[in-house]
Amino acid sequence: MDAILSHKSLMGRDDNSGELIQGTLEMLVLKALARGPLHGYAIAEWIHQSSQQVLRVEEGALYPALHRMELRGMLDAKWGASESNRRARFYQLTAEGRKRLQSESTRWARLSAAVAFVMQAT
Amino acid sequence: MSQRLRGFRLRLAALLHPRRQQREYAEELAFHQHLLRQRLQREGITPVDLDPATRRTFGNPSRLHEQLSELRQFSRFENILRDSGYATRVLRKSPGFTLTAILTIALGIGASTAIFSLINALLLRSLPVPDAHQLVVFDYHEDNDAHGGFCAPLFRHLESDHPAFSDVFGASGTQLQIGGGGSTLVNSVLVSGQYFRALQTPPLLGRYLTPADDRPGAPSGLPAVISERYWREVLHRDPHVIGSKLLANRIPFSIVGVMPEGFMGTDPTEHRQIFIPLAAEPLIDAPYNNIAGGYHSWWLTTMGRRKPGITLEQANASLASVTRSVLSGKDDDADGAADWLKDARTQHFRYNAESGSSGYTYLRQLYRQPLQAVFALCCGMLLLACLNLASLLFARAATRQHELATRLAVGASRRRLVQQLLIESLLLAFAGSAAGLVAAPFIARSLAVLLLGGRDPSIYLDTSIDWRVLAAAAGACVLATLIIGMVPALHATGRSLSSQLKASPLSRADLRTGLLPRLLLSTQIALALVLVIGAGLISSSLVRMYRTGPGFDPHNINLVSVRLTKQPLEDEPLVRLYRSLQDRIAALPGVHAASIFSTIPYSGSTMTNEYSMPSGRITPQLYTNWIAPQYFQTMRIPLLAGRDFAWSDTLSTGSKIILSRSAAAAIFPHQIAVGQHIGSGKDSLEVIGIVGDVKYSDIRKPAPPEGYLAITQNERDKKPSYVFVVRLEGPAAPFASAVHAILVRDVPDIPAPIFDTLGAYLDHSLSAQRMMAMLSVFFAVSALLVTAIGLYGTLAYRTARRTSEIGIRMALGAQRTQVVSLVFRQNVAVTLIGALAGLGAAMLAARALASFLYGTSTHDPLVLALSTLLLAAVASVASLLPAIRAARINPLTAIRTE
Repeated sequence: MDAILSHKSLMGRDDNSGELIQGTLEMLVLKALARGPLHGYAIAEWIHQSSQQVLRVEEGALYPALHRMELRGMLDAKWGASESNRRARFYQLTAEGRKRLQSESTRWARLSAAVAFVMQAT
Repeated sequence: MSQRLRGFRLRLAALLHPRRQQREYAEELAFHQHLLRQRLQREGITPVDLDPATRRTFGNPSRLHEQLSELRQFSRFENILRDSGYATRVLRKSPGFTLTAILTIALGIGASTAIFSLINALLLRSLPVPDAHQLVVFDYHEDNDAHGGFCAPLFRHLESDHPAFSDVFGASGTQLQIGGGGSTLVNSVLVSGQYFRALQTPPLLGRYLTPADDRPGAPSGLPAVISERYWREVLHRDPHVIGSKLLANRIPFSIVGVMPEGFMGTDPTEHRQIFIPLAAEPLIDAPYNNIAGGYHSWWLTTMGRRKPGITLEQANASLASVTRSVLSGKDDDADGAADWLKDARTQHFRYNAESGSSGYTYLRQLYRQPLQAVFALCCGMLLLACLNLASLLFARAATRQHELATRLAVGASRRRLVQQLLIESLLLAFAGSAAGLVAAPFIARSLAVLLLGGRDPSIYLDTSIDWRVLAAAAGACVLATLIIGMVPALHATGRSLSSQLKASPLSRADLRTGLLPRLLLSTQIALALVLVIGAGLISSSLVRMYRTGPGFDPHNINLVSVRLTKQPLEDEPLVRLYRSLQDRIAALPGVHAASIFSTIPYSGSTMTNEYSMPSGRITPQLYTNWIAPQYFQTMRIPLLAGRDFAWSDTLSTGSKIILSRSAAAAIFPHQIAVGQHIGSGKDSLEVIGIVGDVKYSDIRKPAPPEGYLAITQNERDKKPSYVFVVRLEGPAAPFASAVHAILVRDVPDIPAPIFDTLGAYLDHSLSAQRMMAMLSVFFAVSALLVTAIGLYGTLAYRTARRTSEIGIRMALGAQRTQVVSLVFRQNVAVTLIGALAGLGAAMLAARALASFLYGTSTHDPLVLALSTLLLAAVASVASLLPAIRAARINPLTAIRTE
């Protein structure tokens, strides 16, 4: 666990938008896609909105992550039509991705609870 | 696993359709930027600021693009390509090292592939006939001694009674004299009826010989089958060849078939051109008759084909019953059966079958062991080459430590570095192996010529490279690469980073105490010493064979073989012809002496006789030879007592014999032999002289008891063919044409005489020993060379790194001799340890050589001492060169370069 916490490769643009730990980005992408296929912009937008405008995913991190996850078999990518009828690349979870989301959520719940305990300790 | 497969598929798609992939990255990123601009516009950014704002948010699109492409690359594969390019550049930058390394490998691989080609040609390759694995070679055992040659009755017995075999056949090679007088001799073979049926190769034209052809007076006349080569080269592809006449030894044959190209009969080293029925032997061998010779003539090689599904063990079991039926045969035949059966029963005669898939050749028996020994030497050489390369790479890796450490520091993984070093050695191994493979056929061919002595052009060894040889070479190459690449690569990258970066060349001098490189060098020296000692033992044994001598002086002895079987003279008139020919040859310029004998030493044929003494005792087997007067003088065999034959010793003056010293000692111990008689009754011979012992058949064994009979008293043979033996000092060509002229005038009707030298027969009889000696010397020299390169190379590298240290020492007052000893000393311990280990190993390994050595102990102190001295000398020179160079260092420049 401390491996993740101590990881230096963080993302995020400025101090108050919050910093995202690398592994965490993958988890957020998986979560964003849990309700159905989305293109890259929509994934970034959804994370921004759902985090109450706190988290902003930088494109330079998002796309490598998406492609890496595709190569690892967590995501499938297909070209389709966007709302504006332009061709867009839509990502969707594979069975492997779904499993991964499950395990990541459990892990995150335990981790954040543990961090909360520590921070509340007197 | 499926995830990996998926990743592989996506990467492959990217590799196969690079442009589409690039387009898709661009489109995906453009779409994102498009939506981003729309949002920024909604947020009220002015069109002027729009582009910079997008860029600020989005970052550098081309870098992102690059990043995505990299994700989809086969990183390992493309890294290998990149590393190969890098390795090629690095190797090209140090041509000295590269060339040395490639030559080392080429030498090792080339030599081992060549030896393997020979082993393949002689021992492994199958005959090119269907189901060659079913073929067997028959021999027979008497008291556990195996013999290969069969006599006609024993062969015919086996041919008619062979429960486990579909076919059994016999063959006997012969030289046929084709056409009229003054004609050529053609390498041919007499074959029994089932020969072609067993080999299952359909003829190209006409038919092959069948059992019906192999009967005396067969209705179809005398049929002959010829090879494709004879049809092509001699008959010029005559389309009407079937049914045409062929005059062989003045007997008319008619050609009934042509065998296809590639059919080589059963001896892969002989290219037989004409195949005739065995039953024709009395006609073509007249006046001899091996068939009528019965149990006295052992002249047939016998082979067979197992029935399908019968194993060699089952086949041998079935032969037991054949053996029984032979031994229970009647023993009242006239052709020697009674004597033979008596012996066979007491000596436990039995038939035996061995695998014959690669045919029958006497060369195999001759060369199996020497070739295996040479192959062992060769493997040692290959190992040495690998060790040498490893130590060179070690030295090189040491000089490159700074480079490697820098690369590690800037983020290269250890795996990448090892991979890159391995690729470098793989490149070297490939280049070296390629060079070796190119050279191997030439080496193999010259070895084959050496082996066969180049004396008989009809003998032939196919040493071309086939898949077995290729597999052996590839195996050697991979092995070499693994050995030479792995160790130094792991070693060079396995040190801690900071210690290497910090270390100055000065303090790095302590690396010379590295155990592994020194161990490698010591092993090399030990191995080289083993090879040198092996070569020394084999060569000194060969020298002893020549020096202890055959008992006569073989130098300048020329032989002229004539065949007088087809001319009208016989008995006394023929002897007179021989005498006049001998006199005229002796009178030719350059001829010191000339005589006649019947059996050429080391030609493989011998004549033996036993005589029953009046006392009832039987003499030991005497190796006998028919000779003319002046024979001992010509051969320089000392006459110890009594007198030589004279032309006046004819049949009417009583039969005479001359004995060798050991024959006289065996027959007449402690008596004066001259004047005594051996044999009894009408076979009684008077001993008229004693001569020195001669090793006629095998120079490695003590001389057997010998007897000489006079050609003037030869009652057994009406038309004998003898050999003129001539001591000639001077050029051979005019002599040959002069002899030719004499023969053409006196006996125009005989085939051209065959000219030879006795030295060639002697060399040929020792060709296995000579081959071993030459090859072992070749390997020993290569081993010394390679070791010298290794010692020199590593020391030179190490010294080069200490240049500034040496400069400082000299600046502080060190003498040049001190510098020389400082550098030289480094190799001394390595060499001493290696030499000691090598001596020990050689003592053990030489035992395996003992059976090849003649009159030489495996611990021959002279050989051991000289070999060690030689190695020490080579090692000293190799170590002195860098030391002297170090002493020439100019202190000022050396210190400044640091």
